[in-house]
Amino acid sequence: MHTVSGLVISVALFVIFFAGSLSFFRDDIIAWERDKSVAHGQQMNIDYDALLDTLEARYGELYGRGINIRQSHQERNVMISLDPSRDSLASDRQLTRVFTYLDTETYAEETYFSSYTLGEFLYRLHFFAQIPYPYGYFLSGFVAFFFLFAIITGVVVHWQKIVSNFYVFRPWAKLKTVWTDAHTALGLIGLPFQFVFAVSGAVLIIGTSVMLAPASSLIYDNDSGRMYRELMDQPEPADFLQSKLNNPVSLNPLIQKAKAFWGDANLSRVLIENYGDENMRVILEGRPKTNQSFAGLGRVVFDGKGNQSTATKSSSLNYKVGADQTIRRLHFGDFGGYGLRVVYFAFGIISCFVILSGVLIWVEARDKKSNAVWKRKSNQWIGHIFMAISLTMYPITAMTFSMVKLFRDDSIATPHVWIYKVYFISWLLLSALFAIKQDNFFTTRYTLLMGSILGFLVPIVNGLVSGNWLWRTFNEPQLQIFVVDAFWLLTPLITLMIVLKMKKPSKNPARKWTT
Amino acid sequence: MPANSKHLSGPVQRAAKISAGFLGGYFVTNSLFMTLSLWLDQASTMVTLIFGGFIVWAGLMVCAFLFKNGWWACLTYLLVAGVFSLIFYMHQPTI
Repeated sequence: MHTVSGLVISVALFVIFFAGSLSFFRDDIIAWERDKSVAHGQQMNIDYDALLDTLEARYGELYGRGINIRQSHQERNVMISLDPSRDSLASDRQLTRVFTYLDTETYAEETYFSSYTLGEFLYRLHFFAQIPYPYGYFLSGFVAFFFLFAIITGVVVHWQKIVSNFYVFRPWAKLKTVWTDAHTALGLIGLPFQFVFAVSGAVLIIGTSVMLAPASSLIYDNDSGRMYRELMDQPEPADFLQSKLNNPVSLNPLIQKAKAFWGDANLSRVLIENYGDENMRVILEGRPKTNQSFAGLGRVVFDGKGNQSTATKSSSLNYKVGADQTIRRLHFGDFGGYGLRVVYFAFGIISCFVILSGVLIWVEARDKKSNAVWKRKSNQWIGHIFMAISLTMYPITAMTFSMVKLFRDDSIATPHVWIYKVYFISWLLLSALFAIKQDNFFTTRYTLLMGSILGFLVPIVNGLVSGNWLWRTFNEPQLQIFVVDAFWLLTPLITLMIVLKMKKPSKNPARKWTT
Repeated sequence: MPANSKHLSGPVQRAAKISAGFLGGYFVTNSLFMTLSLWLDQASTMVTLIFGGFIVWAGLMVCAFLFKNGWWACLTYLLVAGVFSLIFYMHQPTI
């Protein structure tokens, strides 16, 4: 039982770190897939009056609705949600809640599922959203929490030897000591990073559901709207007066005004309450550019006639907003451009290695003559299965990148199911094959080799399909596409070098069970 | 690290310590922050609970293993959580 649960947690943690590391490039992967790259800092650049007209034409009169427009990713689609109209005479059409994605250039609409991408898939995989809610979320959240526990106990256990062990590296000694030394050395280097991710990961995925469970009923009387308003520092909603404005204000000039007031800031959200009512309110939120300030949130509020009521600078900050934004910034690594993302990615992969070596130490430590043969065999099996599941993620991910470029088209009605099939079925088959082979060296060598070859194919496939060859996309508007192709040039190069340097280890005499 | 068996306790003791740390640690953490929110700014305390709570909880899980007897860990955590909860309920206007 202990070994099985340990294996599940280790595999889960490996998947989280591997898919999570790739997710630092989520927006780039999506832009690459759709062949729709967006230059940096172009978010929320929309003709808002045209946008509202489009929505009105498609979803009926907007009177009395709440409208929320956001664009949390660097992509061409904006996220729009329309609350049901508060008008007592509203038709059924006006009372339906709408949640849609709208392309800011073509005004074409997509649902969440029709716009599903491999980038979204990998991002969701890193908190197991493919497992039905809430089990996947709770699994990943508690894995993050137990990882935090493991980090703290690791520090406590190793405390006295932490510095001396760090300098010990004995690659020519027994196999076990290689893994032990690599585990301690890299574990220590990655420790602050892993601590940050264990805490922020648990916060983002189970923070409110687990930590605020008692508070939401005892303090906030199960009024989740009120709870989020207070914790996220949102303004109280305006009352609906049920009397129409003659001419609701045009949005574009208001946004120009707010941008001028903030100076160098990004518009992050447009919120309209009671659209077209006497008590209509337009709330514009802006955040400072990341090279100006790490965190901050400014609000400019207008009424339905365009009179400005309150305005705060984009750098203004209070504890609640600051805490929330800090956790998110640290977790998503979105505060320092591509250089920072590459460092974050490298640390994520180092963490994958620490998890792998941790499991291998565990297997080696139990491979003693004093243990029963069947126990040693089953432990070895666990190690082989673990290595197979973890390491096959690399070639499977590389393959799926080419697959979405080659075979995904609009005739696929449910793209998310299609991606699940491509990824999960091939992952299952390949890991089963490597697990049956029962040779960790073989698994490592051939998964890395397959990953390298399939990885090199990604930029080639993209060049052939879209004509966006690597040397054509190195420019500002297409940088996102370039980043993904370059990633699939450099990563396979590094793994190929590892494959070429690998030497078959001499058989460990302790491994002979059958004589 | 290969665990040394002399540092490990029996399965019943271990179960007691794990449940004290996991369940008891959660109760202590949550009741502590809920009680603090009576005097400190309520929303800010809750925001701190969301991230600080996990660190305190994990710390309490480690501390549960410092007890020689796992049942004492259970009892201590439940008592502490009980005291905090009592203070919180005493300050509820509805009762």
